[in-house]
Amino acid sequence: MQDEVRIGVYICHCGTNIAGVVDVDEVTEFAKTLPSVAVARNYKYSCSEPGQDTIKEDIKELNLNRVVVASCSPRMHERTFRRACSSAGLNPYLFEMANIREHCAWVTEDKQAATSKAKDLVKAAVRRVALQEPLEAREIPVNPNVLVVGGGIAGMQAALEIADGDHQVYLVEREPSIGGHMAQLDKTFPTLDCAACISTPKMSLVGSHPYIDLMSYSEVEEVSGHVGSFKVRVRKKARYIDVEPCTGCGECAKVCPVEVPSEFDLGMAQRKAIYRPFPQAVPNVFTIDKRGYPPCRVACPAGVNAQGYVALISQGKFKEALEDLRRTMPFAGVCGRVCTHPCETECERGQLDEPIAIRALKRFMADYEPETGQEVVPIEKTRGDRVAIIGSGPAGLACAYDLVREGYPVTVFEAAPKSGGMLRYGIPEYRLPNEILDSEIGYIEKLGVEIKTGSPIKELKDVFSQGYKAIFLGIGAGTSQKMGIPGEETQGVLHALDFLKKVNSGEKVELGQRVAVIGGGNAAIDAARTAKRVGAKEVVIVYRRSRTEMPAISSEVEEAEREGIKLHILATPVEVLTKDGQVTGIKCLRMQLGEPDASGRRRPIPIEGSTFEMRVDNLIIAIGQAVDRSMLASELDYTDRGIVSVDPVSLETNIKGAFAGGDMVSGPATVIEAIAAGKEAAISIDRYLRGDDLKEGRPTTMEKAKDVPKEGVEKKARVAIPLLETEKRDLSTEVELGFDEEMAVAEASRCLNCGLCSDCQLCVAACEAEAIDLEQKDEFVDIEVGSIIVATGFDTFDPSVISHYGYGCLDNVITSLQFERMANASGPTSGQILLKDGSQPESVAIIHCVGSRDKNYNPYCSQICCMHSLKHAHLIKEKANAEVYQMYIDIRCVGKGYEEFYERLADEGINFIRGKVARVTDQAISDDEKDKLIVVCEDTLLGNTIRVPVDMVILSTALQPRSDAEAVGRLFNISRSADGFFLEKHPKLDPVATMNDGIFVVGCAQAPKDIPQSVAQASAAAARALAMISKGRVELEPCISQVIDENCDGCAYCVDPCPFDAITLIEYMKEGTVKKTVESDPVKCRGCGVCQATCPKKGIVVLNFKTDQIAAMVDAILGVG
Amino acid sequence: MESVTPFKEVADIIKEEGGDAFKLCYQCGTCTAACPWHMVRNFPPRRMIHQAQLGLSDFEAEDMWLCVTCNACVQRCPRGVEIIDIMRALRRSITSLGVAQAPDALRMTIKNISSLGNPLGEPAEKRVDWAKDLDVKTYTEGTEVLYFSCCIPAYDAKIQRAARATVKILKQAEIDFGILDGTENCCGESVRKVGDENLFQRLAQNNIAIFNKNRVTKIVVTSPHCYHSFKNEYPELGGKFEVWHFSQYLAELIKEGRLKFTQEINKRVTYHDPCYLGRHNDIYQAPRQVLESIPGLELVEMAYCRENSLCCGGGGGRIWMETKKGERFSDTRIEQALEVGAEIMAVACPYCMSNLDDSLLTSGKEESLEIRDIAELVQQAL
Repeated sequence: MQDEVRIGVYICHCGTNIAGVVDVDEVTEFAKTLPSVAVARNYKYSCSEPGQDTIKEDIKELNLNRVVVASCSPRMHERTFRRACSSAGLNPYLFEMANIREHCAWVTEDKQAATSKAKDLVKAAVRRVALQEPLEAREIPVNPNVLVVGGGIAGMQAALEIADGDHQVYLVEREPSIGGHMAQLDKTFPTLDCAACISTPKMSLVGSHPYIDLMSYSEVEEVSGHVGSFKVRVRKKARYIDVEPCTGCGECAKVCPVEVPSEFDLGMAQRKAIYRPFPQAVPNVFTIDKRGYPPCRVACPAGVNAQGYVALISQGKFKEALEDLRRTMPFAGVCGRVCTHPCETECERGQLDEPIAIRALKRFMADYEPETGQEVVPIEKTRGDRVAIIGSGPAGLACAYDLVREGYPVTVFEAAPKSGGMLRYGIPEYRLPNEILDSEIGYIEKLGVEIKTGSPIKELKDVFSQGYKAIFLGIGAGTSQKMGIPGEETQGVLHALDFLKKVNSGEKVELGQRVAVIGGGNAAIDAARTAKRVGAKEVVIVYRRSRTEMPAISSEVEEAEREGIKLHILATPVEVLTKDGQVTGIKCLRMQLGEPDASGRRRPIPIEGSTFEMRVDNLIIAIGQAVDRSMLASELDYTDRGIVSVDPVSLETNIKGAFAGGDMVSGPATVIEAIAAGKEAAISIDRYLRGDDLKEGRPTTMEKAKDVPKEGVEKKARVAIPLLETEKRDLSTEVELGFDEEMAVAEASRCLNCGLCSDCQLCVAACEAEAIDLEQKDEFVDIEVGSIIVATGFDTFDPSVISHYGYGCLDNVITSLQFERMANASGPTSGQILLKDGSQPESVAIIHCVGSRDKNYNPYCSQICCMHSLKHAHLIKEKANAEVYQMYIDIRCVGKGYEEFYERLADEGINFIRGKVARVTDQAISDDEKDKLIVVCEDTLLGNTIRVPVDMVILSTALQPRSDAEAVGRLFNISRSADGFFLEKHPKLDPVATMNDGIFVVGCAQAPKDIPQSVAQASAAAARALAMISKGRVELEPCISQVIDENCDGCAYCVDPCPFDAITLIEYMKEGTVKKTVESDPVKCRGCGVCQATCPKKGIVVLNFKTDQIAAMVDAILGVG
Repeated sequence: MESVTPFKEVADIIKEEGGDAFKLCYQCGTCTAACPWHMVRNFPPRRMIHQAQLGLSDFEAEDMWLCVTCNACVQRCPRGVEIIDIMRALRRSITSLGVAQAPDALRMTIKNISSLGNPLGEPAEKRVDWAKDLDVKTYTEGTEVLYFSCCIPAYDAKIQRAARATVKILKQAEIDFGILDGTENCCGESVRKVGDENLFQRLAQNNIAIFNKNRVTKIVVTSPHCYHSFKNEYPELGGKFEVWHFSQYLAELIKEGRLKFTQEINKRVTYHDPCYLGRHNDIYQAPRQVLESIPGLELVEMAYCRENSLCCGGGGGRIWMETKKGERFSDTRIEQALEVGAEIMAVACPYCMSNLDDSLLTSGKEESLEIRDIAELVQQAL
């Protein structure tokens, strides 16, 4: 470097842009007085050839080694002047620009102030440039691959332009198909050519192009790197269908029982849960829409897929429904009658009106089976290891059922004379008839399970010695708990289970006139209702808490009351009164409710001195059951709570190979919980016999479907379950009668399909190509590209927020996009313009600027609505020959052929009313308005407020930024303008680039625009990407961070704040001690300066933006030093 | 043909009144069509704004005095034009520049308010007579709540029922409240809307001085007009208080369990949203919550409700001017209530009550419909 600093200062007039406000001569004279300034001149256009030549000549002739140009923004001409310096042999980084146009001339009319500020800026630039250092630009190679995000018309166009140049393109589209909004359109303005005719060829080309890797149903997750070398992680969402084998034949959709509103048809038609958005979709494959597990399934202890069979019932597929249930468990008839149905408690429909009657529907499937005939094919025993199940209650049978279907030979040992356990002996026949139980156990036997009744097991080792390799214990909790009060052992005191067992076995039980039942669970209710049926005249249930705390099924309690059973709540017996060894009554204490206990129910607290007596002949105690600890006591470990000790996950007992579940492990619980335990044990036994890890990946959790939409769902009461008249009720006749077919279908049709796909798996059977893979998971793909084109499109404005336009409340008020679907031959009405009642409209109003040019919503003009409104008017005329009214503020037809199109429509006889609509209403004030939609607006040209009665209203809704534009902006590190659309680098001269080099933005992601403009932008962005590829390298700014080793102490403050991940902490040994410092990656660094600002030690600086250089400017401006 | 000779002072007054955004008006006509006047006659706010833009306002026109300040136009205006402020400024131009005359009835009322502090021309000392037999204490420093009844319930025997019910409820809920001694005057809200800014300032200053002298912190009001001026206009004049409309206060009392209903009102009730509670102050839910909490009461909505509610015709000083038969919005409102089968129309504003009472009387539908203040209904169910 030369010793003496010689600066040339050039003040630009920029025509009158600068010189009109800033006194350029005064600034020039001032510049001459500044230290080291060798020359100062002003010129009309410094950026012109002569302007540049002056600088070049001065550099050479006056030996300048620094240059300052005071003119416009560096964004405009920094490169111009750097080139000029460079060509004159001066390092271009020894040049500095002062912005006296945007920062001085354009921001004030005060000439003096502008001139004064211009001087300050020139002074600052002169001070700074003196301290600047020569730098060399860096170059890196460009990765020739390009990522295009968004497969609408803009994205497709960009992808094709680049791919046609034989460069690899990755096209990421989040929807199942490319095509974007254009695929939804009918005709396109102003030429009226069919949108599909011109876009599907592009779609198919994209789908088959050898240089395009189409990643549909995928989203960009992460972007790192910089221009020329981006690393991108893409999430390929599970579509549960293998794309390769799927032929798009559509057989799967035919059998799918779940219908949801079609997004593509904007809710005007239904689609299946397995779907292809539209027939010309690319790729031409189906996708299964899952929204997590339905709450009913998550709530079921056994994970029974209720949504699956409910959906199938709604479609009349009763047999398939039962098969769906049997994938999980065999007890449709049993659980359809006695299940406590936690599924119904969680049912989302309950938040809207009433939960689906899932239990009754389950029963319906079993009731209906005889109609179709049961076909049972015994399962082949493919496994050699024999399994013994001890106990034939619900747990044992569920375990046996799952194991036999895995191919194991299974034998069930039952001590009682008949199988079924508590189902047979603990539940009265009027709730669960024996033939239902027999039939379902029979089904399990037909599959190949051997049941040996009357076969008590004394010791497990005997079982093992008989050759069984694994054992499941499901013996239950069959011992009645005692109350521990005086007189409990008296004649006439019964225990509920013994009582029910005797009655259920057909034994005669004599009861007195008055019977009290103690307890509030299902056994108490069953005992009370049975006592009534056996002949007791008066039956009272005594329960210590209130009715809401009763654990019994509430409908059962209601039925008990209907049958004349009395409830005596908030009371507990303290003594059994006896006379001559026979019960005569009970002495009770009244209770009150305190704070909730561990069970969450409010704790009963005795009220002192509140005893009272009740005269009874019999007392039935139903306060709970316990496990008989004497069973297998020599072998099994029991817990302190008196239940069998098992591993909570695998259910393995202390004996290897022996597992236990159901009431004997949980204490008394429900049938469905026992079934769940049996199923878990079956998994363990299978793993055990295969030698696999018992616990890996268990317990599994199901992610519940969230945000189930309920808007627009009509409220509908649940179908009531028919009941037997009370006078006809006896010991064995069922009280609850099942649904008939019609009721079942009606009830099942209320299901909201929370999980979307119901997992019924009918599609799996229907797919000949075997393309369906319900186990598919999201996949991540990492790609590397040199540039990225963002073409993420727009959302349409939701007009329901403008309540006075009636969208969502009034029929036949639709949006412009909905109209496009209606007009489209592949749309919901096959191209006919129809009202909701199926008739054709005679008059239609098209309301412009809905959500556009409106301070309350979007202040900007959405650009395309005037034109598509005219097009809609044409289509209405053509297809329905209806009268059309356009309510507009200004008609904006700016584009080639657009004004001509306007003229054509005027010629077609469209009515134009200049005025923004104030209200759309169905409130008629005259006969002409009856049954019409009345559009109220001022015809501002007439100066009258008018009411226009029409049949249909089309709202020309605004185009808005995507709802996730902010997140997408962050992902790609690109900014947004005030309206929320992505910001281009320069609105006129660089409309497709962004402030993040190498990332381009095209189409409606940048601003609302029509198809020709989107396509033009896409081609422009493609050209920019191709230019980079063609050059093969990009120049990077040399003003990047540099670590000053002697200052950096490795505090690492700068590491985290660096937005480009360019800084790493390193440790090294120096003279025997560990030293720390940071390293900055010159390729990643963008010179933003965050590190410099963070560093407390001046250990990291940005070249040419060093602290002394910036301080010099600040001092100059503040007039210091 | 009209020659363009702009009246520049008008633009200045509009600017001063805060209506400067009228320059942004793009003449879309939303205001004209949103205005309830279009149901009964031609009234063109859009044209008036354009005339004002050009300085060509016709001050003699009856139009100057029609605006009911219901806010339906402002709420929908796509350009954010403060149309009510423009109307106010035009009226102010008339009164302060003397270019035309205000309607006679209005001038009389303004005179009353100016000299007596109330629009009814009643003596100030009679302001508290309505509460004489109710044993209400006079507000003194330290009392929790000031109840401000509004002039109309205070003097108009027909409307008193709203204020009386309010007092009874406050007593039942054991609220420590008081009323002023009659030295207070009209809140001035409508005075300001008819363009008499000077009188408004005087009224407001007087009230603020009295409130401040008594160290008032919390005011409960019956009229949404008082609510609006106390809450949104007094603070700029140095009067900063916690202001509650009685419907909000009731909702809070019910929520806190300080009021318990013992009676059922087994009637079909519709609620008429007052402009100054709804559109001006976004209070739609509280009155409905109160009504829905009354046992037995079935709440039904009229076709025009909430932000689309129909004005009773009494805002903007219209309550003091004669509206021709056939042009009264309150007549239409009565029909709308009957259309949904309402047996009671619940109101929450003395102006609405006054206009709707009159319309009910002239319609001869007293057998089918009652007009009741929300406070009356609540008191009945206690």
